[in-house]
Parts: sequence; C-alpha cells; structure tokens
Amino acid sequence: MAAAERAFPAMGVREIRAGLAAREFSAREIAEASLARIRALDGATHAYLETTERLALDQAERIDAAVAAGELSACGPLAGVPVAFKDNMNLAGTHTTCSSAMLANYVSPYTATCVARTIEAGGIPLGKLNMDEFAFGSSTETSAFGPSRNPWDLERVPGGSSGGSAAAVAAGLATVALGSDTGGSIRQPGSFCGTVAVKPTYGVVSRYGVVAFGSSLDQVGPFARSVEDAALACNAIAGRDALDCTSQDVRTDFTANLAEGVRGMRIGVVPAFMEAQGLTSEVKAKVEEAANHLSALGAKLVEVDLPNAQAAMSAYYVLGPCEAFSNLARFDSVRYGYRDPGHKDLGGQYEASRAAGFGPEARRRIMLGSYLLSAGVYDTYYYPAQQVRTLITQDYARAYEQVDCILAPVSPRTAFRFGEVSDPTDMYLSDMFTISINIAGNGGMSMPVGLGADTNLPVGVQLISPQFKDENMLRAAAALETVYGPAPVAPGFAPDAVEPLGRPASLPDAADAVAGVDLPGLAGADGKAGE
Amino acid sequence: MAQHLTERDVRGIAEYARIGLDEAEVAQMTADLNAIIDSLKPITEYDLAGVEPTFHPIGGLSNVMREDAEEPGFAQEVALANAPAAQDGCFLVPSILGEGGDR
Repeated sequence: MAAAERAFPAMGVREIRAGLAAREFSAREIAEASLARIRALDGATHAYLETTERLALDQAERIDAAVAAGELSACGPLAGVPVAFKDNMNLAGTHTTCSSAMLANYVSPYTATCVARTIEAGGIPLGKLNMDEFAFGSSTETSAFGPSRNPWDLERVPGGSSGGSAAAVAAGLATVALGSDTGGSIRQPGSFCGTVAVKPTYGVVSRYGVVAFGSSLDQVGPFARSVEDAALACNAIAGRDALDCTSQDVRTDFTANLAEGVRGMRIGVVPAFMEAQGLTSEVKAKVEEAANHLSALGAKLVEVDLPNAQAAMSAYYVLGPCEAFSNLARFDSVRYGYRDPGHKDLGGQYEASRAAGFGPEARRRIMLGSYLLSAGVYDTYYYPAQQVRTLITQDYARAYEQVDCILAPVSPRTAFRFGEVSDPTDMYLSDMFTISINIAGNGGMSMPVGLGADTNLPVGVQLISPQFKDENMLRAAAALETVYGPAPVAPGFAPDAVEPLGRPASLPDAADAVAGVDLPGLAGADGKAGE
Repeated sequence: MAQHLTERDVRGIAEYARIGLDEAEVAQMTADLNAIIDSLKPITEYDLAGVEPTFHPIGGLSNVMREDAEEPGFAQEVALANAPAAQDGCFLVPSILGEGGDR
C-alpha cells in the first residue's frame, strides 16, 4: 500500500515509531495522509472543528530532518504521532471556541502547556476537536457547532464533554487526543466510544491555557487505543508548570509497570456501586467480568465501602456551577468574544452579549452558580458541599488503606441516542460514577472491555487510583488489555471496513483563522449546524 | 417540586449574572433551576457538625508564587487582536454610566 493511503491515525505509537525508524514512511507522509483521512471521513463523525495543516507540516519537517540526521530519538516519545486537542485548549493561531458562539471568533494568541508539551514530544497536531459548550454536558449535544457522532453508531452520542476527542480516537482520526475532565468528561466519552481515557490525579497536568470550568476539579488527560499510548501521552504532559500553581512536580514514568501484571495487587470493588439504581445489567455484567479477569490474573479483590459517595453528585452540582459562574464572568464582550452590536450602554451590552453568546446549558449553570453563592444561600449549599468533599476524600483515603486501586462502572449505560436524554437532571446522572473522583482529586480512567451484551456498544470499566498513584490504575488496565486486547478502531472506520461509514467533511483550516471572524460551521438560527 | 425560586428571583439573579433573559426564558429558567436545586437536597440533609470544609483537592497548597521577575508578555496589538472594538491602543466600550450616546 502506498504510504499516502495508509491510515496513520489508526495506528499506535510503536507502529509509527518503528515505521519512521525504518524509513518505511516519512513524517510528511503521516501528516498529509492523516489530514486527507480526516477530510475523507469526518463528515460522518464531526469530531473536528478545524484542522491545523501548517502546524502539522512544519512539525513533520522537523521530524523528517531529525530522522535524516539519524536523531529520531531526540524527537520525543510521540515523534510522528497524529494528535489532536479538545477545543478548550489554546493553540496559537487556531480558533479556540469551547464549541460556543461566545468564542466562535476567538483566535488564540498563545498555547496551552499541555498542547505545547504534546507537540514538543513530537506529536503532529492535526486539529481541534468538538465538545459540549464550555464542557457543560455529557453528549456534545450542547456544542454550538452541532454534535459529534459516535463512530460505533452514528445515531448515538459519543458522550461528553470531550466527545470529539473520544470520537476522533475511536474513528482512527487521531492516535492520541487530549480532553479535559471536570466530572467525567474524559472517562464517560471514553466508555461510550470504546477508547482508553485517562483523567490523571488533580495536579498531574498543568491547566494553563485550558479554558477553565471548575478550577478545583478540572484536569487534562489523554485518549488513546492502547494503555501504553495513553501512558506515553501522560509522560509527555505531566509535571510542574510555573504557569499553573496547582501543577505538581510529577516525574513518574507512567509506562514503567505496565508489563508487571496484577499479581499481588489489591483491587477494590464497591458493592453499593454495583447495586446502584440505573446501572444497566450489561454494564454491571462487564464490570463483574473484568473483576473476574483481574482475580484470575492474580489480583486480590477486596470489598470497600464509600459511604458518602452518593452525596458526590449533589456536591458536584453545587461546586461545579459555582466555579463555572466565577470562571465565565470573564466573558464580558470587551476584551474578546461575542459582542451584541449597537448598544449605547455597557450594562445592556453585557446582558445582550452574554444572553446571545452562551447556550442554554451554560446559562443554566451560570445562573445556578450565581444563586448558590448569594448571601444566605451559600451556607445552605456551597459550604456544606465543601464539607461533604472532606467526607468523600476521607472515604477514599480509608479505602486506599486496603487497596491499590478501585474497579467501578464508568457510565451506568452505553451510548444513548440523540435527544434521548433531554432533562438536565437526567443528563447529570451520566456522571454518577465518575464525579466523586474529581471531588476527591483522585486519578480515574476508562478501560474498554468489549461490547455490552444488550446494545452491542462499547463498555468501559473505571479504574480509580489514589492521588499521585496513577501508575496503579494504568498497571491494572494493562492487565485487562492482555485479556481484551487494545481498543479497536470502530468497525465502520477501520482501514479495511466492510461497510465504511465515513463521508467527506468540509473542514475549516487554521490557516484561514482571523481574530474576530467566526469559525465556519456555527449552528444557524434554525439550530442546525453546517457540517 | 419545591418552589425555591420565583420568576422575580430569577430576574434578579439574571441581572447579577449579566444574562439578559426574555419572559419565556425566565419562565423556563425558573422551572429548570427549581428542578436542579431540588436534586441538591442531599447536601442539606447531612450531619456535618464539626466537619472541616475542603476547598481544594491538594492539601497544604497555599500562596504558590513565582519569583518576582520581569518576563515577556503580550504586545499591545496581540492583546487587542480579539477585541470586538479597539481605539488608540485601548479596548473600546459604550458609555459606562447609563445612556451616554456616542462621544
């Protein structure tokens, strides 16, 4: 097969590195073929909002020059790997819209640390990825550019808020994608799309340049189709950054113990989670199956109790909106973002611009946060939520005296159909098993374990690590991978697909990005996105 | 469902949050917020006497400072590039104190 026809973003990191080292293909061929694959297929998935051709070709040139000089090893662990970024991550010269009309015309003047580190590690940046507006949602249905579609079933959501990141990796349109997770926004779409999806411990990855949602909860992490690829991405992005005061001096090699197996590991299971209302039988069966495999591989299963975990949901829907209300105050129609035209006074301009620039879910969360932080109400909800956070953190600390990591469901169900979950409080239940991990600041990940027996859609199980022991969950995940194999590209997007699902996309490129001019594809007044 | 907020309350919150809502949006927002606040009830039912709050997941983190040294920042034109309106190197806004008209 000619290199130009190869599906590079459907390959893993090792395969790409080996091919580059053997000069079987060049980084330029990777960049060109990857962009061609996105343009040929992403019309079906709408994972991408914008491509970054110039940046991809410039990076490829650097790598090819290094290969020619016999210095591939100097290019970093992700040399030549097709990567893409959630659109709440700044990358200089690209639109960073957060999938919101508020930022449709915003072009980044700077680059987020996680993005810069991925590129410094050799990643070839292909573009920016769709999401729920400002990361408020679990389906990408709140994107102002229209939803992404699940590559396993285009009638279903990819999950969210990092739905574009999950869809891109599941469709083989990126080898590694970065997302962000405030209450489950990496893990839930990872589960829905069947990819490895890692939310490291709070403080492992700098959030500098990532548009903030809930600053005491937000964390950046990778999507990939193998545990090793995800661990390599963690290696690239982790560590202290002077520009994010919460980032810690983490020097862990996240790949170090992937081959160790789980013999001797103590893995916690939470009986109350397995009996939770709303957990579907097919997801429950998969979690039990994964537990049995881990046990057969030599892990000791230990029942642990998290008595306050059921309060995490309400604590989160207090803390998240309060922090979002504060963080989204910056969108003032003055320094950047949407300005409603024709106003003669600043107050009227604020109100009209924020009403038109924010979608319904963003408005709900801002309003809720504003109410919850008001005098008198603060002591009823916000302060108790922070006390509940203490109880949940203590629950986990007690559990981790007995176990090295915890096994749990990610989402109570597999991917749902568009419009199927329309009530906001029902949508919030998508995150019932993921939220307590953000509240306590632990590491958590979704590990694909095949398809559910009833819906025939991907199911992920969640592995949860103590703070700054993310290597524990990765080690257990790698053991599960020896049973289930690496995550496949969704069948309709596999390079040898029998019934190909992809169709061409007309994607804007960052070469045309001009500050003040909307990124094409914004949903019109009819509510339909131009795909 | 408990009526935590009236439409009048919601208008007040919208004004504080600087989000202009029309009458239909106020009605929908009132219903949505009341339902969400209802779902937060468990928080109000815990016995939390003597429990210290945790405002941040990393304990012991306070006043993280860098050295107070000069570092390069954005040039003025870069900082203004995304501004909806600018003039003479400044962000341009309408009158701040009420209806002032163009000047």
